[in-house]
Amino acid sequence: MTDFIKGLRNFRRGAWEMVASALIAAGVVMLMQPFALALFSWSFVVTLTGTVMFIIVSHFPE
Amino acid sequence: MSYSVTDPSGRQKWIAATLVTLYAVITILPLLWIIGTSFKSPSDAIAYPPKTLFTPTLEGYVNLFTTRTRASEEELKTLGEPTTWYDRIVRRDGFIIAGPSRFPERFTNSIIIGFGSTVLCIVLGTAAAYAFSRFKVPLKDDLLFFILSTRMMPPVAVAIPIFLMFRQLGLNDTHAGMILLYTAVNLSLAVWLLKGFIDEIPIEYEEAALIDGYTRFQAFYKVVIPQAMTGIASTAIFCLIFAWNEYAFAVLLTSGTAQTAPPFIPTIIGVGGQDWPAVAAGATLFLVPVMIFTIVLRKHLLRGITFGAVRK
Amino acid sequence: MLDTSIDRAARATPPAVARRIRGLSDRAIAWIFVAPSIFLLLAVNIFPLIWTIRLSFTNFRVNRPNAEVEFVGLKNYISVLTNGDIWLTMQATAHFLIATLVLQVLIGFSLAYLINKKFRGNDLWTTIIVLPMMLSPAVVGNFWTFLYQPQIGLFNYAVGFLTGTDPSSFSMIGDASLAPWAIVIVDTWMWTPFVMLICLAGLRSIPNSIYEAAECDRASKWRQFWTITIPMVLPFLMLAILFRGIENFKMFDLVVQLTGGGPGSITELTSINLKREAFEKWRTGYASAYAVILFVTVFGLASIYVKALNKVKQR
Repeated sequence: MTDFIKGLRNFRRGAWEMVASALIAAGVVMLMQPFALALFSWSFVVTLTGTVMFIIVSHFPE
Repeated sequence: MSYSVTDPSGRQKWIAATLVTLYAVITILPLLWIIGTSFKSPSDAIAYPPKTLFTPTLEGYVNLFTTRTRASEEELKTLGEPTTWYDRIVRRDGFIIAGPSRFPERFTNSIIIGFGSTVLCIVLGTAAAYAFSRFKVPLKDDLLFFILSTRMMPPVAVAIPIFLMFRQLGLNDTHAGMILLYTAVNLSLAVWLLKGFIDEIPIEYEEAALIDGYTRFQAFYKVVIPQAMTGIASTAIFCLIFAWNEYAFAVLLTSGTAQTAPPFIPTIIGVGGQDWPAVAAGATLFLVPVMIFTIVLRKHLLRGITFGAVRK
Repeated sequence: MLDTSIDRAARATPPAVARRIRGLSDRAIAWIFVAPSIFLLLAVNIFPLIWTIRLSFTNFRVNRPNAEVEFVGLKNYISVLTNGDIWLTMQATAHFLIATLVLQVLIGFSLAYLINKKFRGNDLWTTIIVLPMMLSPAVVGNFWTFLYQPQIGLFNYAVGFLTGTDPSSFSMIGDASLAPWAIVIVDTWMWTPFVMLICLAGLRSIPNSIYEAAECDRASKWRQFWTITIPMVLPFLMLAILFRGIENFKMFDLVVQLTGGGPGSITELTSINLKREAFEKWRTGYASAYAVILFVTVFGLASIYVKALNKVKQR
């Protein structure tokens, strides 16, 4: 866990990719969940953030 | 044979074989049923309980390839004796053949577009894969990812702008348009797979050729291409099968001249209700080549199925 | 590495030969080789993509070419993302996704596990099991409508034979409660082999020595299964799940032919819904916003997929 936070602080790829993947996954779940329309409405913003983040962080050093 | 603790026992193998065989039989049953139905007469096809034993007839195939009109007893008598075997089949049900159907055309379209896009795709894909494999291409990883992700896009979403663009360029419902489109869609898979195959060819071969006085380009087609031939062939089969099976683009972007078989086969309707033997005949003619391909070339096909991830 | 070895070769050869070896520079060749592909992808993929994004901010309609095209900002996105019907098609897609993934992973993994017992003739059976996934989904969907016919269909007859229900008493495609299962069954029939093949590759990548070591430690078969087999196959399974997930998220051809989205809109998956908006109602701008949302979702999933793929390849 501390490694993970250290990774985030030092702009390491692995840790940030994890965050971006989690955002994308959350966005996809929000898009298709049957519970609240509001979650559905905001899903796109979350997925988009995750995806853009993924593209950026994939250029960070390992 | 040496005994290993990790080898499955004979009993385990026997249970595994039984279960897998059972699943395989259930899997193949619908396919055999369709092939069988194509040789049934329309009344046998809709019999209850479903018939497993029947007198085979080519009626489905005749109906697939022809359009027919109903004729009265007198009309049939004035025509005299049927001259060909297919005339005989049709007249037995009180019909006469009015002309050929659209099926041969659609089938030919499938062949033209399938092979056309495959050839183009392999030519472009091999060159690109070679460059990605051997040279330092700027932003290589991004380009490769981008190339892969284009294939994953939902075809219906992609079709909206393609439809508009093709309309502007006059490519809607043309062979050229469909060939270009299928090439673009397949290119990603082709580059991805071919890069894997070319990566495996030792770079020393080309270096030797370069020292022998070949140019880069000569080294590419005299050394690399022959070495990569198996890979190229299996990639070509994948592209061909994709183009052959594709439905979404075909149904949205073609309607007449360039329509392929997949959107056409479901539209086959007989006189009075769906003509199941004819539909089954169309499906059989369309699917059996792929089945034969799969069985004959299984070693090469199974290798490339997961974008080369499974390669060992 | 390549550059240096060629440089070395060039230095070792006389200048006249060296010029011939060089011919075009590597850089030029790289570009000549990559350019046509990139150009085609730009023309057929990127350009339309940008066009879609631009259209998604307008009220353009293909069937009204003369109407004035207005810039409407985020209006299309807002109306797609607040549309309860689209939310429902997303939920239908989710049901389809979850059911097919669970079934395909369970059956696919079991089959791979059994085939990996290496009994005689496993090659032949593997090939037969793989057959459905090589076929055209549209044609497959079409002939399954025949197998699903209430009275004459083979499927209904088989179910009736096994359970004793009357084969004409239910219609897989016509009944609202059965139609979602009708598409799940066909998709599972068709794509389980794919999951199976990937699991098989995973199983075959486990070195035998690990099991032998476990056997020496007297670990039970059950323990070996959970501590060796499952963790070693898991990355491959992830790959299969992501790939099938993306494919089924955009599922179109099979379901269109099978149920056409019906009865009602019970089986109307996202792609089918989008097709209605774009090619039947011709609300191009609105449909473009819808398409962009699907693009971004698939693009995001694809990047996770590629990450998983690289992880597996490193093994």
